[in-house]
Amino acid sequence: MDKNKHLESVISTHQITKEKTLFDKYVKKKNEVKEALEENYGSDLYYPFNSGSYAKNTAINTKFDFDLVSPFKRNAFGSNGTLKEMYEDVYYFLYEKYKDVAEVKKQKVSIGLEFYADSDGDVIKIDVVPGRELSQDQYREDENLNLYVYYKYGNIDAGSERIKTNVKAQINNIKDRATAEKDSIRKIIRLLKVWKNTKYIYPTKSFFLELITIKAFDSKSITGSIWDKLETVLQYIRDNVTKESFTQKDPGNSSNDLADTLTSTEKQQLSDDMKNMLERIEENDENLKTYFPENTKFKKEDTNNNQYGKNSGMPIPPPKLNFG
Amino acid sequence: MILKIEKIGLSLEVEDELLNKLLEIGKTHYPKEFGGFLIGYYSENNMHLHITDTILPKKYQASKYNFERSTKGIENELVEFYAENLRKIYIGEWHTHPDNSPIPSATDISAINTIINSKKTSIANPVLLIIGCSNTTVDFGFYVWFENKLYKYE
Ligand SMILES: [Zn+2]
Repeated sequence: MDKNKHLESVISTHQITKEKTLFDKYVKKKNEVKEALEENYGSDLYYPFNSGSYAKNTAINTKFDFDLVSPFKRNAFGSNGTLKEMYEDVYYFLYEKYKDVAEVKKQKVSIGLEFYADSDGDVIKIDVVPGRELSQDQYREDENLNLYVYYKYGNIDAGSERIKTNVKAQINNIKDRATAEKDSIRKIIRLLKVWKNTKYIYPTKSFFLELITIKAFDSKSITGSIWDKLETVLQYIRDNVTKESFTQKDPGNSSNDLADTLTSTEKQQLSDDMKNMLERIEENDENLKTYFPENTKFKKEDTNNNQYGKNSGMPIPPPKLNFG
Repeated sequence: MILKIEKIGLSLEVEDELLNKLLEIGKTHYPKEFGGFLIGYYSENNMHLHITDTILPKKYQASKYNFERSTKGIENELVEFYAENLRKIYIGEWHTHPDNSPIPSATDISAINTIINSKKTSIANPVLLIIGCSNTTVDFGFYVWFENKLYKYE
């Protein structure tokens, strides 16, 4: 088996453009939610923006991350308003607005909207992240925000109001580096996300994987084929994530340590998973396919045993179709 | 007539009588575009497609550069074909390009995308027949959408 050929295929079959229709639906929904927030909160709100994978250019098509950050002004909930009040207020607004068409859930630092399947069976998920500037007009200067931690988030306690982070700086950091490293980082990040998505629930946030990949590229010379690079990054994670001295400085706020978003047990699990993965692939190349599956929906056949797609039941033509 | 795409190994057979009928119908609408639904069935091993019939739209709008058809009123015909022993189904669409070559336009490609993305349609490889016609000449091209690309049958 050619490991590099397989990995390139994993990357190309998960490319976002291929799920364009679904992606467009996300964008449309995201804009709807954004407009609803703007309408409801008016001038208490700065311009909500998308910080999900789309903006970070690392999205994979099996699952989109759409985070809609909603930056509130300092006095949006009164001069004594707490972050908890902000979080609850946004929750109730979204709940009242969307309860009939979506599951509205309280999540770590966001409010999750999971819209019921549409006629195509697609489920759109959007996470709204309410944040508030630290002091009046300060957001305009540095774009830092306080988020509310609804429940325990790694080593950060529930109810805590400590996380503050310049989300836009996070996005830019990934963008700049990715360009400089000629797409290598993006490819590895995409592969790690494909791997994370093979798991039903995994404590490691995608954002953590993105940053640790960048850190690996920072601390080591990572060269060679795509497999060489991936192997080096996997080894780096295996060897470093559990170290006492390991920190993940948040590019948005250097006093914020993202390593704290994982408990030590979760870090150990991540390290063990990397160790196992490397050993299994060492034993047998084919195991690479288990950890990094292609998106079968778009797999290209190299032989001519192609078939027309099998249909189930009687196909109904789309009701209206336009030709030029 | 049997046509094939060497590169992906898929083939198609169309009844000459049907093809001639479509060319004739296309000509009667000249210089406006016209088109309809293609009906057929796949071979047992799913590598060969046999196109046998057409359903003509009951409702449509057409100009020289545009053709929009609706499925209104064709439901019964679809069900009747499906009820046949061979279970004939909707497999694609055809339309004309008056005074133009039978090469898919951007609008045609986006129509194909609408077909493959519609859950109810449930065909992964729709076929597109384009008939290029003028007062004096006629030409045609069969295409199939396969693995994110449009291939022409030769
Ligand atoms: Zn056309």
